[in-house]
Amino acid sequence: MSDETGVGREGRRFLDVESLRTAGLYVGLYGVAFLFLLPYLWMLSLSVKPRDEMFSKVPHWIPSEVTFDWYAFVLSESMLARWMLNTFAIAGATTVLVLVIDSLIAFSLTRLDWPGQRIVLSVIIASFMVPAYVNIVPLYTLVADLGLVSSFAGVILPLTAGPLGVFLLVQFFRDFPDEIEEAARLDGFSTFQIYSRLMLPLMKSPLTALALFTFVTSWNQFLWPLIVLQSEASYTLPIGLVTLSSSQVFQPGLMMAATMLASLPLFVVFLLLQDYLISAVRIQGTTG
Amino acid sequence: MSVGNRLSRQLSRVRENTDAVRDRQAIEGILFALPYLLVFSIFLLYPLLKGLYMSLFDWNAIYPSESEFVLLDNYVRMMNDPLFWVAVKNTVYFVVLTVPTLVILGLLLALGVNRQIKGRKFLRAVFFSPYILTVSVVALIWIEMYAPQYGVFNYYIELALGSAPNWLNSHLFAMPALALTTIWWTLGFNFVILLSARQGVPERLYEAARLDGASSWNAFKDITLPQMKPALLFVTVVQFIASFQIFGQPFIMTGGGPGNTTETVVMYLYKAAFNQHEFGYAAAVGYFLFVVLVGVSLVNYRLAGGPDE
Repeated sequence: MSDETGVGREGRRFLDVESLRTAGLYVGLYGVAFLFLLPYLWMLSLSVKPRDEMFSKVPHWIPSEVTFDWYAFVLSESMLARWMLNTFAIAGATTVLVLVIDSLIAFSLTRLDWPGQRIVLSVIIASFMVPAYVNIVPLYTLVADLGLVSSFAGVILPLTAGPLGVFLLVQFFRDFPDEIEEAARLDGFSTFQIYSRLMLPLMKSPLTALALFTFVTSWNQFLWPLIVLQSEASYTLPIGLVTLSSSQVFQPGLMMAATMLASLPLFVVFLLLQDYLISAVRIQGTTG
Repeated sequence: MSVGNRLSRQLSRVRENTDAVRDRQAIEGILFALPYLLVFSIFLLYPLLKGLYMSLFDWNAIYPSESEFVLLDNYVRMMNDPLFWVAVKNTVYFVVLTVPTLVILGLLLALGVNRQIKGRKFLRAVFFSPYILTVSVVALIWIEMYAPQYGVFNYYIELALGSAPNWLNSHLFAMPALALTTIWWTLGFNFVILLSARQGVPERLYEAARLDGASSWNAFKDITLPQMKPALLFVTVVQFIASFQIFGQPFIMTGGGPGNTTETVVMYLYKAAFNQHEFGYAAAVGYFLFVVLVGVSLVNYRLAGGPDE
């Protein structure tokens, strides 16, 4: 009897602790999420705020009236649209190139036998340890020697040399069942047909993940395009935004309208293809 | 005799056939690998070697052939430059401010979102989303957040504490301000990797522990942490490498100031190369970075138990 009430009391106390914990969990997680959203809200708020409310000491999160003047101004007075096209071209070309050359070599390293392939793979994997910024000085002299300063190729080619895509695809291509490949060979498929008609269609999801990740990271490149692209018309968005912020009469509304426009394409990509992007990051963690 | 002859002829034909197949596969294999290998050798391996070479010269940026061989002078000069050590100290300070926070906060959020709670997808999207922004957008937004006159922070801090720092112009607060910005920007990467690692821990381990009457703290200490060790090491090293190469945030938000308090190693390298055109010297700084970061990767490799684990 007393035993039972003891259990009951324990049970209830346990429940209370549990529900307290759950409440704490919700407060903690949604609290952090709220803080995470503040910078977005402030950017949005400043970008539609009239000039006279901009510098008020008391922050007006919701402006008394909404204006799109800053957007109109930044679109007509800067090369933002041009920079967006440039960024799109660079990120797009990088992505296509990476997909083609990385899948070709990953196929070759996992499905074909040739002397020295083990050494090649270990050199590529070892190059992971070469930090991105270590090479910028010799790379710049190389790009200058090739006459590629201020050209898109000068930005794109070094971006396609990274080992990440090869490494990711090798993991997937390696697990491809041998029987399917042998059956295709008996049916008279050439090696290239096995690659293009068999392998690529079946590797759609790792390829999509790699494509998205490559697109986003090349869209966001900062230091390398800053060095290579030296004419205003060739700037990418990340570079253009920074020159805009230092060249214009300083106007928060103008800058925030520009950053809104600059991040819009990637936000759309993110909202539509979140799962692929997140899985691209996740794959890096499991293979790293 | 003739039977033996025929047999050996057949055998050698088979061998020729397999030899031919092998040769063809080798040629095809190399052809398939070639496009990437070209880009890789020209734009990654070659600059790596050329950087080492350049670092031994007083490099003439305009007439490279007139560069003067100086052996280790660039490295000696680097070691004797007080500003270089200021940059190293600031960079280490930034690493200390960001890496532990990013790993621990990432782990806490991942463990939280792993629970049965409402809105997990929403939370995941919110925590991950800043990671897709470019550093310029991030830096420009946070300049507005920190603005002393009309920014967000200072109004509320003054309300609560009476006075507030002038964030990006303060010797004391400029670097922590850059660290906070960076945490917002890149936490999502760790969060996603750690969440996925936590989801990979077999649930039966926790059930067994529960049956043994283990407290949730013990379960965390004895199951969660050891099971997630590879992922935790991975994010720690990736964050260390990223934080050690911090450039965009100080370049855009503070320019290295005030008074060099946010001057970092990559900023220092960039200025040496592209403001002062001292390519040989900048290449030497690049090799310093290379040695430090490869060292960190190798230590991690050892900690993770090498390739067999």
